[in-house]
Amino acid sequence: MKEKLSFAERLKRAGSRGDFASVLMLLPAVFLLAVISIYPFCWLFRYIFYDYNGFTAYYIGFKNFTRMFQDAIFWRSVLHTFEYAVMKLVIIIPLSLLLAVLLNQKIKGSGIFRGIYFMPTVISSAVYSLIFGFIFAVYNGVLNAYLQKLGMIHSPIDWLGSASIVMISIIIVAVWGGFGNYMILFMSGLSSISEEIYESCKMDGANGVQSFFYITLPMLSPVLKVILMLAITTALKDYESILVLTNGGPNSRSEVMFTYIYKLIFGSQTTPQIGYATVLSIMAALIIGVITAVYMYLARKLDDVV
Amino acid sequence: MKKRALSFMMAGVLAAASLTGCSGGGGTAGTTAAQNQAGGAAESKEGTKGETVIKVWTNDRHDSEYVDQKISEFNETNDKGIKIEMTVVTDDYANMLSMAYSSGTAPDIAGISAGQSGFDLKTFADAKILEPLNDRITDADYEKVTEASKLQYEGIDMIDGNVYWIPTGMRSGVRMEYNKALVEAAGVTEFPDTLDGVIDLAKKVTENGGGKNYGVAFTSSVPFIRWIEGTCETSGIYRYDYKNGEFNFDGYKPVIEKSNQFFKDNSVLPGSVSQGVDAMRAQFAEGAFALWGNASQEAGVFTDQFPVTKFDWGVSTVPTLDGEVKGALTIQPQKGYMMLSSSKNKDAAWEVIKFFSSEDFLKGYLEGGYCLPISGYMSNAIDSSKTGRLADFKLQDYESVYPAVPAVAIQGDDYIATLWNAILGNVSADDAIKDLNKRYNEALDNDVSMGKIKRLIIKDFDPMHPNAGTIEYLDK
Repeated sequence: MKEKLSFAERLKRAGSRGDFASVLMLLPAVFLLAVISIYPFCWLFRYIFYDYNGFTAYYIGFKNFTRMFQDAIFWRSVLHTFEYAVMKLVIIIPLSLLLAVLLNQKIKGSGIFRGIYFMPTVISSAVYSLIFGFIFAVYNGVLNAYLQKLGMIHSPIDWLGSASIVMISIIIVAVWGGFGNYMILFMSGLSSISEEIYESCKMDGANGVQSFFYITLPMLSPVLKVILMLAITTALKDYESILVLTNGGPNSRSEVMFTYIYKLIFGSQTTPQIGYATVLSIMAALIIGVITAVYMYLARKLDDVV
Repeated sequence: MKKRALSFMMAGVLAAASLTGCSGGGGTAGTTAAQNQAGGAAESKEGTKGETVIKVWTNDRHDSEYVDQKISEFNETNDKGIKIEMTVVTDDYANMLSMAYSSGTAPDIAGISAGQSGFDLKTFADAKILEPLNDRITDADYEKVTEASKLQYEGIDMIDGNVYWIPTGMRSGVRMEYNKALVEAAGVTEFPDTLDGVIDLAKKVTENGGGKNYGVAFTSSVPFIRWIEGTCETSGIYRYDYKNGEFNFDGYKPVIEKSNQFFKDNSVLPGSVSQGVDAMRAQFAEGAFALWGNASQEAGVFTDQFPVTKFDWGVSTVPTLDGEVKGALTIQPQKGYMMLSSSKNKDAAWEVIKFFSSEDFLKGYLEGGYCLPISGYMSNAIDSSKTGRLADFKLQDYESVYPAVPAVAIQGDDYIATLWNAILGNVSADDAIKDLNKRYNEALDNDVSMGKIKRLIIKDFDPMHPNAGTIEYLDK
């Protein structure tokens, strides 16, 4: 039977365990989270029943919701978001893992390559998207010029203006801008795997591929799980470089959820539709939340199986 | 024990640091730039020598050198103890201003450039953010130079009789800028006045170009309004039916179908529709294509920003459907100054507006070629030989200001993007027009019924003199 402690005793025990110090240390972060994230999020709910242009809010009941369900452009942008996220993840995760494993070998010059691969991460996405705009240019564009010189294409490709290619183009940019970051995260995970395990594996006669699949990958799984979760949420929220590269075009082909929402508020050709954009933001947050929760659930189930 | 004391100390420091950071009330110092960014009328205050500081925002960057120099002169020489602090806000200007107003950091004066700087004047006026200037603009000196009494346009600088700003300059209607060498090489000596003629010209230049030069280029940045909308206007086609007070896009069909021919003929510089406007200006200056459309700002662009040195370039009026002008071409009044209602120093702010609208300030500004004069007085006062290529954009007798079309909250793409999509051939002209008529009129009916806006009707509307009719506002 548990001994019943008085309030003073519990206070004393908490003090000796260092609970107060922990709470104090957590306070700044909790305070900032509440002020910068949670309060603005709650504030959003004020306008979901209003048509709000930034100055005057007109009550419109459930009209924003009915409009959302009938808004073909929004739901198309949701599909584009999934398409973009899946294609980006399928390329960026294996690529960054492969590079992390290669650079984790004690080979000469790996430090330089590590620096080079990480460099895009420290450049603003708006800046490198502008540069890619020039690379992808149809007329006098660098990429088309090289492909033509190599004889791979006969006429220039409209990388950003063709509805059938634009998604591939923005994914190339997204992968270029993001893989260095995931590579570093994978490398930090790899560094926690003991050398001795690889040595004993080698003594048992395993080759590089076998040790990757039977040692590296399973031992990396806790890190991989976190990286995947970060990658999924990031990919679903990406919009900055798309705004710079295509502004959602051509013909809304590269419109993702957040470019659409951004334009509803900051688009210069129409009056700000903050109430409706709020409803869409909440729906977007819900979609991302559900996908992340499903992923976490599946990852835990997989853990049980493995 | 020591460890615990240390952790308490660290936690305390962290908490204090974060709270200090959030309070924002701390330091009195801060760079001028930082003050300029955040500075607002709420902070308008006595300067160091007892001066009244007037904060001014603008989204014009191209004229900064001249404006800054004149402000320095004003700050040093004015005898009213006024100091102007100018901040250039180029991105999301209207939103930035509304946010600054909400947070009590709005400036005393906000400048207006072409296209009303993205402002929906009615929204700002209804929210009582702006100060009506009716009583002030009657000042005799001000009236003499600006001719303010003649430059009041409903929905543009005036709402319900309240005048919020007066333009001191204007941007011309759109024109065609063309590469004379390429046009002449195509066997064309006189620039065509019909859309068909321009389509043929673009085709000939492209055929002559052999994959090196093309007929025409567009851009990803609102391509429809660069010049094709000018063709629509001068052909008597407009999106708002002023007589009946509703949107009507039916007239655009022939222009959409004809403009699509540029693409069918492969006369368009490849990839130009996905490139920014400056990238295309640079390509024009390099001679990559023959025809470019834009308004009088291109005079400065092709003189200073992307100087055209490899060939002669000409300026022509935009083509119409049949060569006949049946409607006015929009000019854009600009370089006006709005006073914010939150200003604590309205009299001093008015003195600053008067300074920006003075003959001394405007003479150098207009002769510098930053924009065209809008008042007859300033047109006569300047030496037009000093304005450079701006002289080629001189006002045509059919250029005017259209009363502002009701700003409706539409669902989906706006008419500019939708019509351009149809020109690209992504949707048919009929479908695009049907869609626009539906969405714009539904939004208009909805916004009128909610009391957000009023229906604008001009029963005696004349497309050649759009600003001359009698304006009525209906609640339904």
